[in-house]
Amino acid sequence: MSATTIERPRAPGRRLRRRRALVGWTFILPNFLGFATFTLVPVLILMYLGFTSWNAFGAAEFTGLENYERLLSDSTFHTALLNTLYYAVFHIPLTLVAALGLAVLLNQKLRGVAFFRTVAFFPYITSIVAIAVVWNMLFSPEAGPVNQFLEAIGIASPPGWTTSTDWAMPAIILVSIWRDMGYYMLLFLAGLQAIPGELYEAARIDGANAWQRFRNVTMPGLRPTTFFVTVMLTIGSFKVFDLILVMTNGGPGTATLVLSQYIYDTGFVERDFGYASTVAIVLFLICIGVTVLQFLVNKRRER
Amino acid sequence: MKRMTKAGVAAVAGATLMLAGCSGDNGGGGGDGGPVDLVLAGWSLSTTPEFQVLVDGFTEQNPEVTIDVLEYDAANYDTQLTADLAAGSAPDLYPLKTVTTLPTYQEGGQLVDVSDVASELSGDILGVDAYVVDGATYAIPYRQDAWFLYYNQELFDQAGVDAPDGTWTWDDYVAASSALQEGLAGTDAKATYQHGWASLVQGFANAQAGSDEKFLAAEWDYMVPFYERALELQDAGAQESYGTVTTNSLTYQGQFGTQKVAMMPMGSWYVATLLAQQESGDADTFGWSFAPMPQLDDSTLDAPITQGNPTAIGINPAIDEDKLDAAKEFLAYIGSEEAASELAAIGIMPAYTTEAVAEVMFGLEGVPTDDVARTAFSAQQPVPEAPVNSGTPPLQTILDDAHSEIMTGNISPADGIAAAIARAQDEVLG
Repeated sequence: MSATTIERPRAPGRRLRRRRALVGWTFILPNFLGFATFTLVPVLILMYLGFTSWNAFGAAEFTGLENYERLLSDSTFHTALLNTLYYAVFHIPLTLVAALGLAVLLNQKLRGVAFFRTVAFFPYITSIVAIAVVWNMLFSPEAGPVNQFLEAIGIASPPGWTTSTDWAMPAIILVSIWRDMGYYMLLFLAGLQAIPGELYEAARIDGANAWQRFRNVTMPGLRPTTFFVTVMLTIGSFKVFDLILVMTNGGPGTATLVLSQYIYDTGFVERDFGYASTVAIVLFLICIGVTVLQFLVNKRRER
Repeated sequence: MKRMTKAGVAAVAGATLMLAGCSGDNGGGGGDGGPVDLVLAGWSLSTTPEFQVLVDGFTEQNPEVTIDVLEYDAANYDTQLTADLAAGSAPDLYPLKTVTTLPTYQEGGQLVDVSDVASELSGDILGVDAYVVDGATYAIPYRQDAWFLYYNQELFDQAGVDAPDGTWTWDDYVAASSALQEGLAGTDAKATYQHGWASLVQGFANAQAGSDEKFLAAEWDYMVPFYERALELQDAGAQESYGTVTTNSLTYQGQFGTQKVAMMPMGSWYVATLLAQQESGDADTFGWSFAPMPQLDDSTLDAPITQGNPTAIGINPAIDEDKLDAAKEFLAYIGSEEAASELAAIGIMPAYTTEAVAEVMFGLEGVPTDDVARTAFSAQQPVPEAPVNSGTPPLQTILDDAHSEIMTGNISPADGIAAAIARAQDEVLG
């Protein structure tokens, strides 16, 4: 009615909003402080270091675009980039299919399903060093069980796996699929259980066979999960480091050298932190570029 | 700008740095004659007793000084130390774990000029030259490793092959390998063992056939015969293949210690390890000794050339002014005959080598005392595995890649080295 009665509810509203914002901030503050100290600030500094020449002592010398020019003609960087793409192109779809297959299989009412789910998840929680040591032995060219099996079934000259420049990457991809599929299976399982049973029932009544039900009920129902898994897998694939470092250390030669290891070698082995930062920025841009692309594609599909 | 880089390092090193940095602080001070507290960096203290031995020996003579040894992670020693140095929280004294890192620290202004200490040292001390840059000395070596050819006397007897007598060239080595392989046929034992490290081939090639100039100019053709020899032995089955060594994570201690091989080139540090493992039962008890490394030809038999890195300690320039003298005294001590004897007594090969020091070493229980072993200890001339130069690390990365590619048989030695040279020209020297 009067001006005061209109004004009065607005004042506490503003105060309330401010208080809410403050409470919100305090909730995220501890996490944000950690993020800022250990991630945000270092990443910003890294962005700067990418334009410098720096060996960790004294001041970084600003060199402008010199590092980026060097990237263009650095054939080892090109090798590392191609190897990373090679790894990603096979690792992403194959892990996705394997994880989805496992999830569908283990979503059924089987005897001992909990046991099999645990078995599938086990590689993911096993120490990566142990995985690398064991798989390296399995892949051992002369006495390894893998090649002994291949010879037993009549393959005369089985591949040298991690000791062969042609087969080292396939060996790594195999091991990383084996390691990662359990984790993504778990995400798919959660997604599968969120699909209402009535949809399957309705599909059955309409006469859909198993494949049609999978195609038209399961796949669309899993879309959000699939998207999430694809994004996580992509970022993980481009950043792959530990498994390769402990399995082949980038070798033989540069056959399995990937960007992350190239960054590590350039920075911590050769002490060229400026150039290492430049490569790290490129890797960051690739990851962010691919992720943004995936979001755009996903958005278009949702429409 | 300075604060900026400090923040950068702090961020890079993260929590490790902060933890190490806190414990690196020490409140002690003191001027002339007063008590002085120093901090010395070290790694794997439980299995690397040399730091404590040096500290105990020094503080016994200088009771007014206390030295704490601050432990770093052995595998990440240089990374952690770099972070601490850049953040200004590093120990007063720090060892250079690998001699090839000297240029990084020296050019980065992280080492005090200790030429005055070096000028007082005895001429018998090996490896000091490696720490001289433009006439000034930046660290004092206390340890000088050298590579020996270890051999199992019992397997040699079994095969009916004469043990190395200190006159071997590489051709003799290959001939003995074939003879051993024949003599040991039907047993599990192989003739020789070459561990997976690139230095097993390149270190000897650099020391015996190369030069600093050739290495730094990437004129690496001299490595080809060394690779051909290694592959020949591997293909003949006289030594375990590189692929088996790496994929099965074979350890050299296990191979030689459990009598799977008749001989093995390895560093002098393995003497102490083998004695300890025979004592604990991790290694078999058998007759063994070591000989000088095989040579290119017989012209160097009197003073056989081998590879071997020195290990030295330097002073952090951030040290308090009033502690500097005590720190320099410590460096003078580690380069003394007394310290050398203390080190020899725990099986470490000291940089200071005299007859007296050799007596201590060969007086240890279990150490072989034959003349050939004594020649290996006293007469061999160890050369660092690669030149001490700031240009070395990127070249070594390329050579490491070439090593794995050649040893796995993916490329021939000549082609592999040619490709490495091309890559070095393209990426590092060009």
